[in-house]
Amino acid sequence: MMTLLTNTHGLMHALSGAALAVSDEAGHAAGHASGPVAQTFAAGPMFGLLVVALPLLACILCGLCAMGRVKTKLPAFLTVLCLAGSFLVTLALYLQHHGQPAGTAWIIQGFEWIRLDYRQMVDSVVQSRSFIANFGLYVDSLTCLWMLFVTGLATLIALYASEYMSHDVGQGYNRFFAAFSLFVFSMACLVMADNLVLLYLGWEGVGLCSYLLIGYFYKKPSAVAAAKKAFILNRIGDLGLALGIMLCYVHFGSVEYKVIFEKCAPYMASLAAGQLDQIPLIAQFIPLCLMIGAFGKSAQLPLYVWLPDAMEGPTPVSALIHAATMVTAGVFLIARTYPLFLMSEYALPIVAWVGALTALLAATIGMAQFDIKRIMAYSTVSQLGYMFAGLAVLTSVGGAAHVFTHAFFKAMLFLACGAVMHGFAGQLDLRKLSGVGSMPGWRVVGIAMLVGCLNLAGFPIITAGFWSKDMILGEAFANSQMQAIGWILLLTAGLTAYYTFRVYFRVFVGPKHYEPGDEHHGDDHGHDHGHGHADGHDEGHQTSGKHGFHPHAPGWAINTVLATLAVAAFVIVPLVALNHGGWVKDMVGASSAQFNEKAAYLIAAKGDLHTKFFGFDAHKAMMVVSSIVGLIGIAVAFVLHYQGRTTAATSKADALLPAFGPIAKWAQNKWYVDEFYNAIVRMPLLALAQIFHWFDKLVIDGLVDFFGWTPRGLGGSLRPAQSGEMHTYAVGMAGGLAVMAVVVIVVLM
Amino acid sequence: MFLLGLLAIPLLGAALIAGSPAHAAKRVALAATSIAVALFIPIVAGFDFANNGTMQGGVEYAWLPTLGVKFAVGIDGVSLALLGLTVLLGPICVAASFTAITDRPKTFYAWLLILQAAITGVFCARDLVLFYICFEFTLIPMFILISLYGSTNRAKAAIKFFLYTFTGSLITLAGLVYVAWQHSLKHDGVWNFDIDTLAATARNLPLSTQGWVLLALMAGFAVKVPLFPVHTWLPLAHTEAPTAGSVVLAGTLLKLGTYGLYRFALGYVPGAMAEHAQTIAILCVVGIIYGGLICWVQRDVKKLVAYSSVAHLGFCVLGLVALNQTGITGSVLYMINHGLSTGALFLCIGMIYERFHTRNMAELGGLAARMPVWSTFMVFFAMASVGLPGLNGFVPEFLCLIGSFQADSRWGHGLWGSTTTSMASYGTRGDLGPWLTLIAGTGMIIAAMYLLYMVGRVVWGPLVLPPGFKADDGHGHGHDDSKGSHTAEAEKHDDHGHHSVLPTDLCGREIAILAPLAFLCLALGVYPKILTSSMDLAIDSQVKVLEEKLIERDRTRMGSTTPLVPVPPATKPNEGSGRPSASTIDSRIMVQNAGMQEAGR
Repeated sequence: MMTLLTNTHGLMHALSGAALAVSDEAGHAAGHASGPVAQTFAAGPMFGLLVVALPLLACILCGLCAMGRVKTKLPAFLTVLCLAGSFLVTLALYLQHHGQPAGTAWIIQGFEWIRLDYRQMVDSVVQSRSFIANFGLYVDSLTCLWMLFVTGLATLIALYASEYMSHDVGQGYNRFFAAFSLFVFSMACLVMADNLVLLYLGWEGVGLCSYLLIGYFYKKPSAVAAAKKAFILNRIGDLGLALGIMLCYVHFGSVEYKVIFEKCAPYMASLAAGQLDQIPLIAQFIPLCLMIGAFGKSAQLPLYVWLPDAMEGPTPVSALIHAATMVTAGVFLIARTYPLFLMSEYALPIVAWVGALTALLAATIGMAQFDIKRIMAYSTVSQLGYMFAGLAVLTSVGGAAHVFTHAFFKAMLFLACGAVMHGFAGQLDLRKLSGVGSMPGWRVVGIAMLVGCLNLAGFPIITAGFWSKDMILGEAFANSQMQAIGWILLLTAGLTAYYTFRVYFRVFVGPKHYEPGDEHHGDDHGHDHGHGHADGHDEGHQTSGKHGFHPHAPGWAINTVLATLAVAAFVIVPLVALNHGGWVKDMVGASSAQFNEKAAYLIAAKGDLHTKFFGFDAHKAMMVVSSIVGLIGIAVAFVLHYQGRTTAATSKADALLPAFGPIAKWAQNKWYVDEFYNAIVRMPLLALAQIFHWFDKLVIDGLVDFFGWTPRGLGGSLRPAQSGEMHTYAVGMAGGLAVMAVVVIVVLM
Repeated sequence: MFLLGLLAIPLLGAALIAGSPAHAAKRVALAATSIAVALFIPIVAGFDFANNGTMQGGVEYAWLPTLGVKFAVGIDGVSLALLGLTVLLGPICVAASFTAITDRPKTFYAWLLILQAAITGVFCARDLVLFYICFEFTLIPMFILISLYGSTNRAKAAIKFFLYTFTGSLITLAGLVYVAWQHSLKHDGVWNFDIDTLAATARNLPLSTQGWVLLALMAGFAVKVPLFPVHTWLPLAHTEAPTAGSVVLAGTLLKLGTYGLYRFALGYVPGAMAEHAQTIAILCVVGIIYGGLICWVQRDVKKLVAYSSVAHLGFCVLGLVALNQTGITGSVLYMINHGLSTGALFLCIGMIYERFHTRNMAELGGLAARMPVWSTFMVFFAMASVGLPGLNGFVPEFLCLIGSFQADSRWGHGLWGSTTTSMASYGTRGDLGPWLTLIAGTGMIIAAMYLLYMVGRVVWGPLVLPPGFKADDGHGHGHDDSKGSHTAEAEKHDDHGHHSVLPTDLCGREIAILAPLAFLCLALGVYPKILTSSMDLAIDSQVKVLEEKLIERDRTRMGSTTPLVPVPPATKPNEGSGRPSASTIDSRIMVQNAGMQEAGR
């Protein structure tokens, strides 16, 4: 095992040279018992702005392409070029930042965005105040970690999309890449912002791009509805974030990280002294507000319902936005403002429970779905739950490492699903596809899928997903307060392994069989050939000829990207595996998400960090236990969905379903959460809106008219010559004022 | 002098239109409004931004010397911004009416220009009488525009608009005249109507009197804004008005109300504002939610946008009554930005109405497939209206909310402050606070709900067109496949006898109307500093007075028996009294709390 790791480590060195040259000494130094890494602030190099500017340039160029009605693949070319440039700049920025002492945070000043200066009387003294939110970048190692995978994956996925979206060239192609680049720009703003308001800009910007891209196929009502749902549910979270920002401003007098972190220092000292009650209550509310935003963006309970529906968007969008990058923004927010979350006794436990319960709930739904893309969506929700739980059980390294590994393997899984969808005319039902991996031209897809599934299932030792998940599990069991969280996550790990390999064993291996979906991209598949009915035929591709449908094996762009990601999934293993977190630990440990207040926090919370797991060291025990749990999940999937399966539509698992009674059906119907929300939130709100509408029409406006008509009626009998109309509304006006006066009086009383 | 030009050019244009043939009216109007825009450039160039709190570019002529009435104009930073909006919307409104108004164009354009002159007059008046005359005079052109060029229900809408706002304004007049009368009493019967001079008098009126003056001011300005519950004239007027009328209405006419509140409610009766800010804020919050939810169930796309103004202006006034720098700056920015984005939405809807003669969302859908350029603009402006950061709607909304969040006297004390560290509080005095802001903040979600509902209906989805329009082709002319009544209508709308031609998607003129607005929405979203830095001192001078009044108010309340501040459970009794500068209010609050707590034990 160690040889393998060393080898891969060597390979990694050879691949990217000094970029990833993380000395093991540094890794040891930043170990568990290390002291806090002091944050120091310095001005950063201006070229860092290019990371943000290049995607924006791509967006503008794509917009110009749209104006010029370009009917070629030019926008894809421009986007890939700019994003690759952005990745290289990020790499250069990282290299330069890496040369600085650990804990350095660069602030790169762009321009002044919002700035208000004013004076205020405090204790009879005029003090100057300001509200400053600059367009400035905050570059520390956490930023570098995040931006490296964001820009890197964005480049790869843009390349993939250039082929995947090719049937839309001349139609939505320009629009797609414009929104795609705008997304990367917004994501860069979110991650690199030096203040919370600019983060909010990126936060809502990625929401907008998500809206535009989910609704990309805008003629489909379901896509439009899904886009709207995503935006609105995100906005609910955004309100929480906005309130958190305001609370930050009122409490710290600034929304800039630099100032906030500096002013947090006394609180951290109180924490270290075990005096959590010395931290003002109002400051403890800040994380509670911020986490609502994080739950919205990262699709956690109770706001997760938008993410599965977001699969209406094109698959590259699902891969980049709804799996690898945007949905991890919530994790990033908590990691970035980790000191604020440590300030509250309740913040992190709440995050832990929300994360763990979301992980479990989404996994149970994922087990019962048939649409492979939806399964991947639920697994994303579930894995995001792991990341939150990781942050909350005080392993910000584990949380960030899981974000990092998940970004690679989940993007790969989605892209592989997308290749299937692309090739089989939109078919995603795992009951209608089988043995895809062994069909001619699908080998790369099959291998990529296998690698992705192994990672997601947490296959021991050789997969990156195993290591990152293991860190979270180990830390949860080591923490005396988080035992329950640990058990939930362990159970979820088993379920995850099962449903992941359920997809793999059903779709990519076994007897070859397929039915095409009902989507026909362009004219390259010939005329309408309806649904390919290949039922009863083991060799689907033989019968499909009769229907005129041929699977459309992926081309070079898709295969290249999948192969690259499959290799990358192994290359990153040492980055998270060596020395309890490896390179990722160094990156996180030297940032605002450092967890050096951990011990102090636990003293304050009266916890214990070295709880034994049935008498064993929790970390070591978990490596074994989670391996076994994962393997059991895979084995169950193997028995139920592969062994002896002869058709695509059925498997041995079907025989077991009745044993679960209605539960299987409930899970298949997503526990009716959407229906529940509709009944308790949307419908009452709609009813209230209707009531207001009629109240406005009949009562408020009616009162105006009533006060108007009354004198007219009276005046009409007394003075018929008078026109009446004038009076009418004059008195109506008085009526409105009377209502207002009553309100005033009532309130004043 | 340029200010006089801004007032005179539209009036001259109107006179010129009266004497020119009908077909030339629109060109004269466009020329006049464009000259006004050109004239605005030297005004900006000559404006001393470093002293944006003082009135500049002033011109003064004696008007009624016996009464002290002057014809005095001048602008500070806030007026300048609003003036800019007024002037900018001028040519846009004219150009938007080129094909829509074919019947009696002379009357239309002449009154449109007069309306612009009147609004310009409001924003640069320095004399109360001039202000009020211009303020009231806006009613007449608007009344004519709605009643002659509106849709089916125009007569009712026009009359309701006129009388509702007119009655309110009369009460406002009473309040203003009362202030002037008080001034003359104090100055040996010498009348003066200078706005700034009167402010000094008004501020020193007893608090109860100020309350009555505030109520009188609210009667006129709240109707104009409009605040809940005196808003019902607005949806009707907006729906029935011609496109240009709606744009002026949303863009600048509503801002007369908020500007009036800024100039007079804050400037004249700060004491009463300090007392009653919470009441007004509650009305705003109710309006935000109530108006927003009503938008959500509208069928008429224009009515939806009209009701959205009720919700949006709720944010604007909420920021105003926060009575602090952040809130008021946000509020003034909101005035500008609401004018741009909502005005643009009305323009977009007008373009659709011209093509399909319907505003019913059940008859319109999926226009993205047919009109991609229009759809792009529509989504853009809807997002600006939603308050997406990076576009113009965000900064004002956020500042208004922060302003109201800050405005709570309890910040920094007890549970609301720091107990261990000497961290200063960054809250300001007031009664609004986080809970009110939380409720108002749900308006952000509701705004997304109704605007995306509209966009989802009209822009996205399968193509739906009203009966008579074929949905099959994406090219060619909007009218070419319409039969019967539509052809007749198209010909009726014709100007010179040749077929009225509006292409399926936007024509160059329409793009030229929307593009500058889109540019401004983006520019003000990315660089709002251009506005904030040009009005900071003007707002600062208001805030200074308000803060004094708030301190006074808090001091008075301290005298009462009820504790203003919740008692901090963790504070040690000695901690408060041990503090220095015990004479200050803040420490007094602490002392009292500590004392009360001690007594409680």
